[in-house]
Amino acid sequence: MRRRPGIGGLQTAAAARDQYRLLGENVAKIRTDLMTEQLATFRSQLEEFARKHKNDIRKNPAFRSQFHEMCAKVGVDPLASNKGFWAELLGIGDFYYELGVQIVDICLATRPHNGGLINLQELCNLLCQRRKSAREAVSEDDCLRAISKLKVLGSGFEVISVGKKKLVRSVPTELNKDHNEILELAQAQGFVTVEEVERRLTWSSGRAIDALETLLKEGLAMIDDGHRDGKRRYWFPCVSSLSSSVGVDSLKI
Amino acid sequence: MQKLGDFKLPQFFNYPPYFTLQPVRDTREKQVQLWKELILDYCRTQKIFVIGLEEEFPLFSNPAIERTLSHEARDAFLLALVSEGRAEWMDKGHRKCLILWHRIQDWADCILNFVKDNGLEDSVMTVEEIRSGTESQGTDLHGMDRTVLMRALRLLEHKGKLAIFKGTSADDEGVKFSI
Repeated sequence: MRRRPGIGGLQTAAAARDQYRLLGENVAKIRTDLMTEQLATFRSQLEEFARKHKNDIRKNPAFRSQFHEMCAKVGVDPLASNKGFWAELLGIGDFYYELGVQIVDICLATRPHNGGLINLQELCNLLCQRRKSAREAVSEDDCLRAISKLKVLGSGFEVISVGKKKLVRSVPTELNKDHNEILELAQAQGFVTVEEVERRLTWSSGRAIDALETLLKEGLAMIDDGHRDGKRRYWFPCVSSLSSSVGVDSLKI
Repeated sequence: MQKLGDFKLPQFFNYPPYFTLQPVRDTREKQVQLWKELILDYCRTQKIFVIGLEEEFPLFSNPAIERTLSHEARDAFLLALVSEGRAEWMDKGHRKCLILWHRIQDWADCILNFVKDNGLEDSVMTVEEIRSGTESQGTDLHGMDRTVLMRALRLLEHKGKLAIFKGTSADDEGVKFSI
């Protein structure tokens, strides 16, 4: 028998739609619940993990860095605020704020020597020397995190990469490409000569001298006329490890 | 770490540019500051009172990195000490410099302490005795420069703590303490 269109058919169709919708909602709800539950589990697991490995996170820089990575993957930032669960549990916010303050101190104290540009490794060593009494070790990763928190202050703390090295800049000097290339060149021996810059980078004499003079004026370079070949050398304290000892005496606060 | 005898040299002593006078003001200030401290430290530990600018002086060159301070640089560093009262030129040509690693006032205090420690409050001593007698052994006074010692004694005389009187020859001036 041929079904004719009628009110009954429409009602059936509507009822079916409703059923589908209900079912869909149910499925969605179940899924959301499941997700919430999973997230809750995850969070509690993460908390438990953090609680369990509290000491490791505090003391072991490598472990701390991995923990940060894990948090970043799931979109949790333990440093986002000094209040709240993470800070209370780990005191991790305080740790980085303390590092931040010490980093600023070191940058200021070594500025007359290095012109406000310091090798990250160097900074990290100085930081460790300074924190000798504190129990926790500090890694370069920690330094980077603390510096990234300093950006909030707008004081122009920045990490720049020159060649293989990372340098921390604490002065608002803009280094252009030329300056970076010279710093990169200087990493080999700690110094460059005008001649070397011209030859290695195939620059004109004027360009090399100009860039070197700027670096000199900014306090990032020091001249040395004492070599017996009579050629002026431009030394860069920020790429040589000597800066560790110079200025560190004035850091004993 | 490099050493001169038993003196521990600072790291900057091995960094060649510190042997060239820096043209940029901030950098130079830091450089001068480091050299000033080094010169005073060295003179204090080695009991050196006079530096001749044209003479060999262990701090003025570093054979390890083949660098030597120019005359201009030596002059600049000592001039900075002079301007702080920690040194004095001994001639107009700036060829010899008297290093006061203790200021005259501090030397005077040293003498007073020495006198009190040894119960010499009313005694008479010769200047030579203060410098090289057994009583002063182990103190900063032992082997100190005669010019500096006389200056400190005169300061104390001025304050009425002692009287200096002449002997028959130049090297037996006497001191009567009255503290």
